[in-house]
Amino acid sequence: MKALMSLGALIGVAGLLLLGGMIFDVVPSTTVRLVEGYMPIQLLLEVACYVIGFTGLSYMMNAMGMALPRFWQGIGFWIFLMVYLKYRVYPPIPFSVRAMYGTVGLVTVFMWVSANEEDWKKFKQPIMNVLDAQTGMNRLLRYVYLVLIPILIGGFSFNAMMPKSEEPIELRTVHPAPPASTKVHGKTYTLQTSQNPYRVNPEGKYDQEFSNANIVEQGMGRLMKPNANPWDEKNQGYLKYVREGGEIFFQNCHFCHGDNLNGRGLHAFAFNPIPANFTDPGTIAQLQETFIFWRVSKGGIGLPNEGFPWASVMPPWEQHLTVDEIWKVVLFEYWHTGYYPRTWDYEAKHDGQYDSEGRDHRGCSLRSGVSVYCGIFVGFSARTS
Amino acid sequence: MSTAGYSSVSAQGLPEGFKKGELAAEPSAEMIEAGKRVYFTKCVWCHGVDGAGDGPGADRLWPRPRNFNQGTFKIRHTASGELPLFDAKKPIPGQNDLFETVTHGLPGSAMPPWEGILSEEQRQQVLSFVTTQLVKDRKFTDKQSESQTVLQLADLKPKPATDESKKRGGELIVEKKCVECHGMEGRGDGNAFNLKDDWGFSIQPANWHKCWNFRGSRQDPYNVSNIFRTFSTGVNGTPMPSFADNTSVDERWDIANFVNSLCERDPLGNPLPIDPLTDKPKINFVIPSDMVEGEIPTDLEHEAWKKAPKRYVAMGGQITHKPRNFVNRLDDIWVRSLYNDKHIVYLLEWDDRTKSVAEGKLPWAPTQVNIDIKEQDPKTGEEGSIAAQQNNYAVYNDAIAIETAVKWKELPAPIKPRYLFGTNEQFPVDIVKWEADGSLRAFKGTGWDKDFEERDNYEEAMKLLKAEWKNGRWYVMIQRPVGNKKDQDYDEDTFFEVGQYIPTVFFAWDGHNGDAGRKMAVSAFYYTFMNPPVPQETYIYPVVIAVGVVLLEGWVLTRRSNKKKGKTL
Repeated sequence: MKALMSLGALIGVAGLLLLGGMIFDVVPSTTVRLVEGYMPIQLLLEVACYVIGFTGLSYMMNAMGMALPRFWQGIGFWIFLMVYLKYRVYPPIPFSVRAMYGTVGLVTVFMWVSANEEDWKKFKQPIMNVLDAQTGMNRLLRYVYLVLIPILIGGFSFNAMMPKSEEPIELRTVHPAPPASTKVHGKTYTLQTSQNPYRVNPEGKYDQEFSNANIVEQGMGRLMKPNANPWDEKNQGYLKYVREGGEIFFQNCHFCHGDNLNGRGLHAFAFNPIPANFTDPGTIAQLQETFIFWRVSKGGIGLPNEGFPWASVMPPWEQHLTVDEIWKVVLFEYWHTGYYPRTWDYEAKHDGQYDSEGRDHRGCSLRSGVSVYCGIFVGFSARTS
Repeated sequence: MSTAGYSSVSAQGLPEGFKKGELAAEPSAEMIEAGKRVYFTKCVWCHGVDGAGDGPGADRLWPRPRNFNQGTFKIRHTASGELPLFDAKKPIPGQNDLFETVTHGLPGSAMPPWEGILSEEQRQQVLSFVTTQLVKDRKFTDKQSESQTVLQLADLKPKPATDESKKRGGELIVEKKCVECHGMEGRGDGNAFNLKDDWGFSIQPANWHKCWNFRGSRQDPYNVSNIFRTFSTGVNGTPMPSFADNTSVDERWDIANFVNSLCERDPLGNPLPIDPLTDKPKINFVIPSDMVEGEIPTDLEHEAWKKAPKRYVAMGGQITHKPRNFVNRLDDIWVRSLYNDKHIVYLLEWDDRTKSVAEGKLPWAPTQVNIDIKEQDPKTGEEGSIAAQQNNYAVYNDAIAIETAVKWKELPAPIKPRYLFGTNEQFPVDIVKWEADGSLRAFKGTGWDKDFEERDNYEEAMKLLKAEWKNGRWYVMIQRPVGNKKDQDYDEDTFFEVGQYIPTVFFAWDGHNGDAGRKMAVSAFYYTFMNPPVPQETYIYPVVIAVGVVLLEGWVLTRRSNKKKGKTL
C-alpha cells in the first residue's frame, strides 16, 4: 500500500512540477505535446494521473505527520483546477466557461469540506484561528490579511473596469433545421424522401447495405477495407462513384475541409468559424445525406435565419457543381470518414430521438469548437459587443 | 559532388559536419502491402495512382504535390542530390527524413501533418510503399548507385545567436549570394520570379520573415537547426543548392542565426505564439486602434506607430465564388491603426514578391464585380491550367481593400453582413480600396454578385497617407473619416464609434498572380476596436470598494471578539 502510495505521490509531484514548468517556460511548453486526435484521451489520462498523484501525496504527507489541513487541500485543489483549465487545455476555453467550471468546482470543494460537522469544523479552524489571533504568528497573519484583502479586491475591480478589447464570443447553430425541400438546378428535392442516387450496388440498385460494407474501417487511420479500393479499375457502382466524388472533393473542398476531412485544409487557418470537421462524430455522422446535400448546394448563404451569424464562407456549390457531382461528393465524405449516414428508416424505428424535421440536430461552434463545453451553450446566443 | 580543395571539406572528402552512412535495409513485403492500403486511402488524391504528383487535386495546388518517381525529395539530412533517409526497420528518431515529413507535414503547402491521423506504424508502412513502388528511377537499397552522406545534426550544437554571429550571418548572405533570390530583406523577392523546379513548375524562394511556412520547419519554426539543415543539404529539385561545400559549420550557424532572427517576432523580440492546430501564428480577431492627439503621424518610425499593437491578419484564397483563387500568394497582412477625433488610419503591411502595376487601362470599370477572368481548368500543362499560366498572367494592379459593415449597430444580434461584399440593400458594406496605380476609391457593396456602387464624393474625405513597395513588402496607410451623423450618409457609411466592435474584413490582390475582381485573397471577419480613453470611474470605484472591504473586515472582527466574550449584538 505504502509503496503504491509513494508511487502516486511521485506522479503527483512530477506532474505538478511539469505543469508549473511548462506554464512558466522553465521547460519548453511543448514538453508534453497535445496531439490532435489523441487530445481528449490525453487530457483525461492526465487528469487521472493528477488524481492518483494527489491521493498519493495526501497519504504520504499524512504518514509523515505533516498532513495538509483540509482548508489548504480544498483551496489547493480549486487553484489547480483553474490553472489546469486555463493553461493546459487546448484550444483555450473562454473565460465565461472557465468561470462556470470554477463555480461548479468551488461548490464541489465546499460539499467535500462540509460533508459532516467535524469536517466543516476542521475546515473552518484555520480561519477562526486567524480571526482570534491567539498566537503571534496568527496576529501577524491577521494584519497581513487586513491590508492585503482590500488591496487585492480593489486591484481586481480596477482590472475589471479598465476598458479592454477582448474578442467578442459568437455562438452559432451549426446544424440548423433544414427546409422540407430544396430546389437545385431547377429540380425540387424533398429532403425526407430523396436518396443518394449513387449509393448503389454493381447492378445499379440503391443498396445501403452494400455501401455500408465498403466504407473505410473505423479506428486509427480510417483505412479502406483491404479489398474495397475505390481506385480499382474493375469497380462498378458504389466504389466507382466514391472515387469520382473524391476527385471532385480534392479539386474543390479540401482547400478548407482538409485532406483528412478534418477541417484543417490549406486555407482553413484564415477562416472563422473554421471549416466543419467531418471526422468529428458530431457533424455528418449525425445527419442524413439529404441534409448534407442541402447544405452543400446552398452553402453559408442558404442558411435559414437561425443559422446566424452569416460569417460562413461556404459557397452555394450549385454555382460550381452539378447535382450529380454534389451527390458524389456527399458519398465520398461518408466513405472517407467511415460513418453511415442517418436514414429516415432508422429514425422511424427509434422514435423520439429526432422529430421529423431534424430539429434536434443542434450544436454550437466556437472557432476551435470543443464539443465538451460547447454543449452548454446550445440554444442561446450572445453578442458581447 | 564535393570536391577537395575547400577548407571546409574534411580528410575523407566529405563536407564539414557530414559522415558516411549506411543504406537502410529494404522494408518487408508485408509493410509494403499494408502501405499500399494507406496510400490509396489518403495520398492518392494528390500524389496520383503512380505517385507522379498528378492526382485529381494536383493542378489546383501550389506548391504542387511531390512527384515521387524520380526520388527527388526536398527536406533531408543527406547531401545534395542524395536520397533522403528512410529506415522502416531501425529508424533513428528525428533523422528518419521521410517519416518526419509525413508526421509533421510541409507547412505552407497542402501536405498536412499526419500525426494523430495515421499511427506511427501506418506512416512507416505508407513510406515503405512509396519508397519501393513509386520511386521508380532510383532504388533506396542499391549500393552501386546510391550513397548516404549524413548531416550529423544531433552532434552539432547550435551556436548562440549573439549579435556578432547574426552580424556575420548578415554579411555572409550577401557574400554567398543568398540575397539574389531571397531578396535584400529576405522576403523572397530577389531575381526569383521565373524560378522553376526540376519539373518546370513555378516555385518561389522562401520568405525568411514567415518561418512558419518553411517546409522543413517540422512544426518548430523558430528552431534554428531546421534552417541550418536546409542550408547544409540544399533543397533537391529546386534551384536552392547545398552550401555544405563552400561554408564551414561555423559560418552556417551564423547564417542560420541571421535568417532565424528575421522571422516575425513580438515587440519584445520573442517568437510569436504558434497555433498548434494550424501551424500559423495565433490569431487575435480584434484590431485595436489607439488614440492620438492632433494629426495622425505618417512616419512609420513615429513613436505612436511603434507603440500601436500590430495584428496578424490571416488571408486565404477566395475559392467560393468564380473566378476562384486556388493559388493564393498573399497569406497574411499586418495591420495597425490609430485614430483622432476626426479620422481613423489603417497601416497595412504585407509581403508581395512582385510590385505589380497594370500597363494601360484595365478592360473593366473599377466598380465591376462580375468581371470575365477565366477560372482555370484543372489539367496540367494544357492551356488554361494553373501550371501553364503561372508567371504568364497579364499584370493587373496590386491592391488592398478594407470592408466594414454599414449600420452595424442595427444588425440584429449576432448578425454580421454577408462576408463577401455585403448582404443586400438593407445591410450593405462600405469598401475602401487602394490600387497600385495610386487610386483610392470608396464603394458600397450590396451582395457578392452585385456590382459596386461608387460613392463619388466620399473619396475627397479620404486620404492616402503612404503607399510604398520596398524589398518585397507593401506599406500602405489609408485615412478615412470616423463618420458622424452630421456630415456623412448614415445609409452607406460606416460610423466608427469608440469602444465598439466594428466588423472589418480585408481583401488583397497580387497583380502578377492574375488577381482581379473576385480572384483575390480574403480574411475572416475581424473587429476594429477604437480603444477608449480610461474613464474616471475606473480610478474611483476600486478605492470605494477597498474602503468597503476594510469596513467589512472591521465588522467581522468586532463581531467575532464580541461573540467570544459572550456578548451578542
